[in-house]
Amino acid sequence: MSLDSAMPEEQKPEGVQGSGPARSESPQPAADAAPAAAAPKPEAPKPAAPPKPAPKPPAPPPPPPDWEGDLPTALKAEFGDKVSEFIAYQGQPSFVVAQDAAHQVVTSLRDIHGFDYLVDVTAVHWPKRDEAFDVIYVLYSFVRNERIRMKVRIKDGQKPASVVDRYVTANWLEREAYDMFGVEFAGHPDLRRILMPDEWTGYPLRKDYGILEMDNRWVQENLGIESGQ
Amino acid sequence: MKKLLRKIFLADLLEGLWVTFRNQDPKYIVTEQYPFARPKVGERYRGAPRLNTNPENGETLCISCDLCALACPENLIVVGWERNAQTKRKELVNFTYDTSRCMFCGLCEDACPVDCLELTQDFELANYSRDGAIWDRQMLEEGPKPARYKF
Amino acid sequence: MAETYLDSTELVLNMGPQHPSTHGVLRVIVKLDGEKVLGTDCVIGYLHRGVEKIAENRTYTQFAPYVDRMDYVASVSNGLGYCLAVEKLLGVEATPRAQVVRVILTELNRIASHLLWLGTHALDIGAITPLFYCMREREYVLNILEKYCGARLTTHAFRIGGLQYETYEGFEQECLAFCDMFLPKADEYEELLTGNRIWVERMRGVGILSAADCKAYGVTGPMIRAAGEKWDLRKAQPYSGYQNYDFDIPTGEFGDNFDRYLVRMEEMRQSVRIVRQAVAALPAGPIMAKVPKVIKPPVGEVYVSIEAPKGELGYYIVSDGSTQPYRVRVRPPSFVNLQALDKMAKGCLVADLVAIIGTTDIVLGEVDR
Ligand code: SF4
Ligand code: SF4
Repeated sequence: MSLDSAMPEEQKPEGVQGSGPARSESPQPAADAAPAAAAPKPEAPKPAAPPKPAPKPPAPPPPPPDWEGDLPTALKAEFGDKVSEFIAYQGQPSFVVAQDAAHQVVTSLRDIHGFDYLVDVTAVHWPKRDEAFDVIYVLYSFVRNERIRMKVRIKDGQKPASVVDRYVTANWLEREAYDMFGVEFAGHPDLRRILMPDEWTGYPLRKDYGILEMDNRWVQENLGIESGQ
Repeated sequence: MKKLLRKIFLADLLEGLWVTFRNQDPKYIVTEQYPFARPKVGERYRGAPRLNTNPENGETLCISCDLCALACPENLIVVGWERNAQTKRKELVNFTYDTSRCMFCGLCEDACPVDCLELTQDFELANYSRDGAIWDRQMLEEGPKPARYKF
Repeated sequence: MAETYLDSTELVLNMGPQHPSTHGVLRVIVKLDGEKVLGTDCVIGYLHRGVEKIAENRTYTQFAPYVDRMDYVASVSNGLGYCLAVEKLLGVEATPRAQVVRVILTELNRIASHLLWLGTHALDIGAITPLFYCMREREYVLNILEKYCGARLTTHAFRIGGLQYETYEGFEQECLAFCDMFLPKADEYEELLTGNRIWVERMRGVGILSAADCKAYGVTGPMIRAAGEKWDLRKAQPYSGYQNYDFDIPTGEFGDNFDRYLVRMEEMRQSVRIVRQAVAALPAGPIMAKVPKVIKPPVGEVYVSIEAPKGELGYYIVSDGSTQPYRVRVRPPSFVNLQALDKMAKGCLVADLVAIIGTTDIVLGEVDR
């Protein structure tokens, strides 16, 4: 069963409704590009700077539909309350796994359910939440032609288990997540920075890392300039 | 046997040479002779920026709406304007455009409601200094004047 | 590690970052035993520009030109993937005409990307002539792109919801003329290379990656097809109307360098087929779907991937309901494919390393982002 290709048609009307309030907003075109709130601007554009009190949507958008099928049932049967939130937003199935069960779930998905290709490992930072990071695994199965997303929520400093022993490709992907977010993967064979220089401090994709921020000491020592900006 | 003969007579290499030989035909030459001949670029080419003026009286078309500055992902356009006390209209005072940071994406051009800001077919943007890459209103209205050399 | 570095039988060689055959700033630390490669370690990140961070500070519209700068030889594909992802978030779909024009341009760009690959890769192996021919043919594609959207490399051709530009006069004819012109040229490249003894000896049986390894390493695109896996996202999970076109997925047998070369050659011909069908089917109609002027997707997240010339290119976008994306993650095919270099290069000769990097077809702009 191919959820990805079968579902979107049913989903579309809902999505359009969901974006209704945004469309009805601003007859005046000045908001075409609302200023980047975080980006420092040379000259703050006054006219559109205060975020316009957008017409509040009368009702919150309907919650995304549940993801139904044999896979959620099988996973629920196997892992009980360790797996939850089976949803199919825009026809894309995703679910949440408790941190301590993540490795078993991945193993089961690979060995029993045929998800033999790990597409992506990445993270999202939610600084306001207690569990500050979502670690996202995108998995694909060649036999089922199906793509699913698995989410693990972790606190800052918690170490999710590395899946390199299940998928070799996780090696670099986890290194990148570590490099950008500082999420350490327990059991990773070679957890080093990958894109940033090895001695860099700070994790650039965290939300509290400013867009112009950098490791000044590193820049001064290695590039011989005062600042990269 | 045939294979051996091919090997001895270097047939595969000769075939390749024959292809090269066929391509000697001058009708396959597409090299552009820049700077002797300026290549013709597409009509929609996104090159040097220009602020268009009204051809009749030379007044700028810009209405100082700041839309281009807002649309630009690189925040490199600064529109300086003053409100004219009599007509209550905004008047363009200065306009700076930093070509060194521009990525010629065309979003500013799309945003301009009056066809004032335009990316033209000029592509000679080289400069001797970084400051020279920051264009002011005069430069934007007159267009760049790259040196033309005689050879 | 330190002792092995000093061991007289093993040599650690630093290849790059300024090495002509790495097509950019890739640094490979190679451990050698004589001429045999014992292991490689890629050092990447020299071209890191923080594209994902930039995305969080731009509006959805403003970020679109940045994606062109990742895989800059196939910028149209990057733009397509990004637009599709945001459209999915918004719940809109491009109009039929826009979809067909998108397919035409993406396929032309795929040809351009493969041509550049072929030319530079042949140059690495020692055949200079194909480079000139490939560049010459690529020029025609770039001219079409330039006429269509005003830029040759970083095109910014598509907008969220459809297209910014209507096709220009003579667009269809030029595309068809290119197709007619290109097919004999492709045969010519094959005449130069496929039978060439040096080429075959350098490529056959080198850099083998089996289908199982491809899956384990997440390797996609022409590389997994060369290993015999008939998998192409355009067929497996069609997007942008690819289900309407009739084309084949070329596959290889052994998963070595030579198969990858053959697969890419055949893919160009299939792209020509798609372009021809698309031009014939080009419907009239609007080019822009109804999208709000201020793009403000509802809260949610999507992962959308397309078949870029190098493999599966995915965009994972999280929206928090504002005008700026909360997080954009790009799943770059080059980055993931490059990881398999170590597996492929182990046991081969140093000179083959160049060929293997070549057939992996990486673009450092995309590896480092
Ligand atoms: S072309 Fe793009 S980057 Fe350059 S000024 Fe216009 S919007 Fe900004
Ligand atoms: S968008 Fe056009 S009219 Fe408005 S300030 Fe810019 S150049 Fe002037």
